[in-house]
Amino acid sequence: QLDRGCALHTAARDGLSSVSSQDIPAERPRAVFHTSESDPAKHTEQHEGRLYNIPLEEVKAVFPHGLPHGFQQQIQTFNEARVMVRKPALELLTYLKSSNFAHPAVRYVIYGERGTGKTMTLCHVVHYCSRQGWLVVHIPDAHLWVKNCKELLQSSYNKERLDQPLQASVWLKNFKTSNERFLQEIKTQKKYMWGKQESTEEGRPLREVVEQGLARVRSASDAVGVVLREIKQQSHRGSFRLLVAVDGVNALWGRTTLRKEDKSPVSPEELTLVHNLRKMVMNDWSGGAIVTTLSQTGSLFKPSSAYTPQELLGREGFDALDPFVPIPVSNYSPREFESCYGYYLERRWLQHEKAHTEDGKAELQFLSGSNPRQLDRLAGPL
Amino acid sequence: CHSPASLAPRRIMPVRWSRYNPSYLEPEAKKESYQKPLEELTEEEREQMELKAVRPIKAAPPSLSSSVFSDPMISKFTNMMMKSGNKVLARSLMSQTLELIKRKQVEKYHKAPEKEKETIECNPYVIFHQALKNCQPIIGLSSITRGGKTYQVPVPLTDNRRRFLAMKWLITECREHKHRRTMMPEKLSQELLLAFNNEGPVIKRKHVLHKMAEANRAYAHFRWW
Repeated sequence: QLDRGCALHTAARDGLSSVSSQDIPAERPRAVFHTSESDPAKHTEQHEGRLYNIPLEEVKAVFPHGLPHGFQQQIQTFNEARVMVRKPALELLTYLKSSNFAHPAVRYVIYGERGTGKTMTLCHVVHYCSRQGWLVVHIPDAHLWVKNCKELLQSSYNKERLDQPLQASVWLKNFKTSNERFLQEIKTQKKYMWGKQESTEEGRPLREVVEQGLARVRSASDAVGVVLREIKQQSHRGSFRLLVAVDGVNALWGRTTLRKEDKSPVSPEELTLVHNLRKMVMNDWSGGAIVTTLSQTGSLFKPSSAYTPQELLGREGFDALDPFVPIPVSNYSPREFESCYGYYLERRWLQHEKAHTEDGKAELQFLSGSNPRQLDRLAGPL
Repeated sequence: CHSPASLAPRRIMPVRWSRYNPSYLEPEAKKESYQKPLEELTEEEREQMELKAVRPIKAAPPSLSSSVFSDPMISKFTNMMMKSGNKVLARSLMSQTLELIKRKQVEKYHKAPEKEKETIECNPYVIFHQALKNCQPIIGLSSITRGGKTYQVPVPLTDNRRRFLAMKWLITECREHKHRRTMMPEKLSQELLLAFNNEGPVIKRKHVLHKMAEANRAYAHFRWW
């Protein structure tokens, strides 16, 4: 990896029209912000501020649905996926490495202001867990389950609850892609009836439940419930470790914008998917961990300045998630900013002649306030 | 700006169409001009500095910026794209256009083999300026009436007029001759990339104008300026 970085460096110096007249001294290595360690288990403090590469096949297998939209576009443009190793992620990884899996699952809540990197921290942790061979239940954005649902069916299992077939089937498809081998190994412990004629026997692999949910879209939400229940019950045995990763967990305890047919508002506990997910996020099971993120961006009826757990979760959510380990994520430190700026220069993303100068760099730092999202938005047209 | 009669009360808000007294000087926004040490200044610049110490200075217009990234041509184009004073929207469309051009070119660059990498231009500003230059017509037509009949007479164009025509053609092409549902940044980036390679409908329009001027060469003597 380091050699590749140096090779690009010389090619950039020899070739092109957009290189500024500013002379880059030969001693300063441009590849200092890359690291060739692509296994998150081996990341330590010395890798802090550096970017590590995830091979593209692994991205498709591990993250069918987790990455933020801007990052996906960046992968498409640069033809590689580079994630920065930052302090909150390293902290979380040390906790996970040293946790006792016989005890009940510990809940971690990643919080911070807008655009500071909470979702990317979650993705880093998900990558570590899938490399270690854990079973990963990754919900990319819980807000998508409480707003803009076109179809709401009355649940056949429980008359008061409402099903969301579209969202459930999309999630099942992505879950199948990321956890193929576990679906074969885990067996059901009870017989499940889907309607009057179809049923899944005891002892069949979980993959049949998932396929049932995908084939019969009406029972997709119930299939999700069954999958989550089975996984939770079997996690304490120790044959696999379970990671529940939820992005935007404050959606589970807020309000929804959905309405029933008689125009009365729907509260979150009346949705099957939300009800089952709340049971997963409780710490009454052992053999894994629960990592969640708070998000104001997709949230409903919350002011835009709210970012602390108290404000975003509300009383109900805070009581349900309490006790949890809070992990704050902040803006880039000067070293991380240098690293990000250097990466953009190396990948030819910052094309403006003045962006290569010290003045341009100082202006970018000032205008973005070292906020990762603002830096990304500013560097776009430059 | 102050009214001519010194006894009349000074206005707090400037009135539209009111003119600055000729003694007011233009504001200088560039950082480099203030960072030069005294010895490097020429005679005129020293005089200018002394004048600035005594004369009043006009208020800076909102479009004047001291950022190193500001470009007068881009600002002009943004103003032409603006509708009903919505500069925020026009500027965001412009930045999305530049980002889209850069994204397409950088993607092409990273996927290309080593030999072709040097031929691919990734800087959206270079592409924008070159595309505008390629779209500028050299000669224009003006209608002159002689003996009841109007003739299209070929006439030279000033630099400002050429730049204006190039920008106007690009914007009208994007607004009118594209599918209703495509976004402006997408259409504009496509047009700019085509114009950069000397292809596309805007270059064709320029060639049509040149041909008409060539065809009407006989009437060139009608021009008296």
